[in-house]
Amino acid sequence: MRERIAIQDIAKKEGQLVKITLEDLMKLPPPYDKPGMEPNVTEPKPEWSQNYVTELDGYVAIDIPWKPKNKEEEEAMVQKFINGLKKLMDKEANWTFLQPLLLSLEYCARCQTCSDACHIYISSGRKEIYRPTYRAEILRRLIKKISSGGNFKAKFLGDVELNAKTILRLAECAYRCNLCRRCAQYCPLGLDNGLIAREIRKLFVQEFGIAPQALHAQGTAKHLTTGSSTGLTPDGLKDMIEFFEEEIKEKTGKNIKIPVDEKGSDILLIHNAGEFLSWPENIEAFAIIFEEAGLDWTLSSEIVGYDAVNYGVWYDDVQFSRIALKHAEIARKLDVNRVVVGECGHAHKALTVVADRIFVGEYQIPRESFLPILWDIVRTKKLNLDPNKNDFPVTLHDPCNVVRLMGIVEPQRKILREICPKFREMKPNGVYNYCCGGGSGFAIMNSMNFPEFRTKVSTRMKFKQILDAFQDNISPEVKKYVCAPCSNCKGAIRDILGHYNATANCGIHYGGLVELIVNAMVDIEQPYIEMF
Amino acid sequence: MLNFLIYTAVAIFVLVLLAKFVKYSTMPIHLRWEIYPVPHDPRHEHGGSYYEEVSWWAKPRLKTLAGELKEMLMEMLFIKRVFTYKRSLWWLTYPFHTGIYLILVWFVLLFISALIDIFAIGILKMPVYYLTLVVGSIAIILLLIFSLALFIRRVSDWELRSYSSFLDYFNLIFIFAVVLTGALAWQKDFDFTIAKDYMKALITFSSPPTVSLETQIHIALLSLLLIYLPFTKMTHFLTKWFTYHKILWEDEPVIGSEMEEKLKKYLTGFKVKWSAPHIDPNLTWAEEASKCDLAGKCEVKL
Repeated sequence: MRERIAIQDIAKKEGQLVKITLEDLMKLPPPYDKPGMEPNVTEPKPEWSQNYVTELDGYVAIDIPWKPKNKEEEEAMVQKFINGLKKLMDKEANWTFLQPLLLSLEYCARCQTCSDACHIYISSGRKEIYRPTYRAEILRRLIKKISSGGNFKAKFLGDVELNAKTILRLAECAYRCNLCRRCAQYCPLGLDNGLIAREIRKLFVQEFGIAPQALHAQGTAKHLTTGSSTGLTPDGLKDMIEFFEEEIKEKTGKNIKIPVDEKGSDILLIHNAGEFLSWPENIEAFAIIFEEAGLDWTLSSEIVGYDAVNYGVWYDDVQFSRIALKHAEIARKLDVNRVVVGECGHAHKALTVVADRIFVGEYQIPRESFLPILWDIVRTKKLNLDPNKNDFPVTLHDPCNVVRLMGIVEPQRKILREICPKFREMKPNGVYNYCCGGGSGFAIMNSMNFPEFRTKVSTRMKFKQILDAFQDNISPEVKKYVCAPCSNCKGAIRDILGHYNATANCGIHYGGLVELIVNAMVDIEQPYIEMF
Repeated sequence: MLNFLIYTAVAIFVLVLLAKFVKYSTMPIHLRWEIYPVPHDPRHEHGGSYYEEVSWWAKPRLKTLAGELKEMLMEMLFIKRVFTYKRSLWWLTYPFHTGIYLILVWFVLLFISALIDIFAIGILKMPVYYLTLVVGSIAIILLLIFSLALFIRRVSDWELRSYSSFLDYFNLIFIFAVVLTGALAWQKDFDFTIAKDYMKALITFSSPPTVSLETQIHIALLSLLLIYLPFTKMTHFLTKWFTYHKILWEDEPVIGSEMEEKLKKYLTGFKVKWSAPHIDPNLTWAEEASKCDLAGKCEVKL
C-alpha cells in the first residue's frame, strides 16, 4: 500500500513512517516474477527501537545508539543540530560545497521530475520518504526556520517542526540515497538532491560525530590509523603480495614480481584494499597485464597508500581531505609521475575529481583511471588476446562514479567489444546508468538489518537490469558474466546474486574487467575466470 | 505616479538581480562536482570526458562551444529535461514559458515601435505593428491559460501539493492576476497603440497617455511583480547559469588553471569550525587535513 506521508509527518507520526513489503516492491523479470522466488522482508527487532532509529522505515543505517534519553538531551540535540545547520551555510565551514548547496536549496520548483530518476524511490514502490525531494524539502524548511524571521518565513515557505523525531529520522533518511546523482541529471534547474543528502550526512558527522560505523569508526578512522578500512596492515599486505605471486605462478605459469614501494616508478597503482581480501584475482590480473604490457609501476605499502578508498567523499569533508592528502603525499614521496586508480569507482572520483581542488603545490600530482591505460594496451595489441576464450554472454555495469560523475564511458566498452563476442548493454547505460545500489557506502554497511534494505530496495533496479540483459539466455546452464569494474559495485552485485540465488537459478556470475582480459590471453591455458 | 512606480520597479529588478549574481559569483570555488555529459567536451555525445585519454593532463584540453550552446538552447527554448523526463508537466509548463518569452519579445517590439515613432522610420512601422499584434496576442492567451493550468495542477496533484508552500501558489496567482488585468486592458487597446504610446512616454520621460482603469491596475501589478520577482526563486533564469556552467558542467582541473592561489587561501585561511570529536574547530582546513602523519600517528578521536 502506498502511504501518503507528508513532510510534517517526519516530526509527528508515531512508529515507522513507512513499511517495505514484497507486494509494493517493483516487480522483477522472469524467473523472479513468480511468487516464492525471493525471501520475505523481516521486521526490526523490537528492542532496537530503544537505542536505534527504527522509526523511518524499520531499517537501521546508523548503528550507533544515539537517541536522547530525556528532555535535556533532546534539547541539547536540537541546539547542536541548529549549530550544524548554521555551519552548512557558513562560507568557511562549508566552502567546499556552499554554492551548489545554496542553489539547490533556494531554487527547487517542487516539480518532482527528479523522482522518476531515482532507483530507490521506484524500486520501493514509490515510497514517499525515498523521493529525492523529501529529505531536501525538510532540510530546506529547517534552514528557513532557523534563519532570521524564521517563524514568519515558515508560514509562507512551508513549515516542519524541529524536534528529536525530525532530527533522528532525517539522519537515517540521508542514508537512503546512493548519491548516484541521477536525480540531478534529470533536474530542469540543474539542482542536486543527491548533494543535499550528502550535506545532511555531513552535518551529522561533522557536528555530532554520528555516522554509520562502517563509514566512520570502522571506515575512515580505521583507514587513517591502521592503514586500511579492511584492517589490512603494511605487514599483512607484504605477506599477501607473496601469496599473490605464488598464485599467479600456479594459475598461469608466469613468474611475476609485484613491485612494491619502488621509488621513481612511472605509475603508483592503488587498489581498493577490499580486492586484496575478497577478490585477489583482480589484483593478480592487474599485475599480469601491467607486467606483460611492460609498464613501469609500483604499489605502496605505506599506511593508507595501499587502500584507494576514501569513504569521506560520501559523508565527511574533513576525513575526505585527510585521506586524499595522504594519498597525494605518498605519491609525492615515491616520486612517481602519476597515480593510477584501479577498479574502485568512488576512489576514481574522490582522488581524481573531487580532491583536485584540495591539492595545491607539490600535492598536485597527476591522477588518472586505469581504464584508458587498459584500452591503450588492448588497442595497441600489447597482449595476445583471443576473444573466443570469452565466448559467454557478458554485460557491463557502469559504476556511477566512473561514468556519470567522471565521464569515462567508452574505453571499457571498446575493450569489451574487442574481447567479448557476446557483450550486450544493460538499459539504460553509460552516463544514464542506474547505481548498483551499493553506492555511497551501502555496499559495506552490513550491520543490523541494513543489508536487507540494500538487497530488497537499493540494488533491486540493478538486479532487474541484469536479468533483463540476459533474458535471451536466462537458464542456469548458460554461464553469464556481469562485468563490474568497481569494488563496491562488485560487492553489491555479489550480495544480490546471493540473496536471490541468481547464480544457481540463472547462471549469473560477476567480476571485474581485468579478469576478462587475462581470461582472453592466449598464453594462459586454464580459464582465469572460474565460472565453469 | 504610475511612471515613478515603473521606473522604480525596473531599477529594483535590475539591481536585485545584479546583487544575486554578485552573491553567487563571489562564493568560494567549490570542490569539483560535475555530471556528465558535459556538453562543452567534444566527447559529450557519449557522455565522455578528457579522463578517457591516457595522461590527459599532457594533452590539450579541447572544448566545443557549439556543444554547449546547443544544450543551452535546447534547455532554454524547449525545456528539454522536462520534455524528456516529465512530459505531462511539459504540456503545461512549456506553453507557459513560451508565453513569458513572447511577452518579453512583445515588450521589445513595443520599445522598437516607440522608437520607430520617435525617429519616424516609416518603412518599419507596419511590419512591427503586425508583429507586435500577433506576438502580444499569443503571449497573453498562453500566459492566461497556462498560469491557471499550472496552478490547478499544483493544487490537484498530491505529489506537487504536499510539497508546495503558500508562495508556490501565490507566485502563480500573482502572474495570473497580472496577465488577467493585462488581458482586460488589452480589450480597451486591441492593437496596442496606447501601450506603444505609453512606452514612448516612458522612453522620452514625458506625460503618459490617458489609460483605462484596467490598464492602470495592470501597470501597478506588473510593477509590483517586477519588484517582487528578483527576491524569489522565479529568478531561476539567472541561477541556472550557475547550476549548469559553474557546477554540473564545470570540469576545470587545477593543473593549468589560475585557481590555485584562491584555493591556498581557503585551505590556509578558513577555519574548519565544526565541533564533532574528530575535528578541532579552531584549526584551518590545511592544518586539520594534515593532522595525520605518514608514520601512522593520527589523532582521529571518536
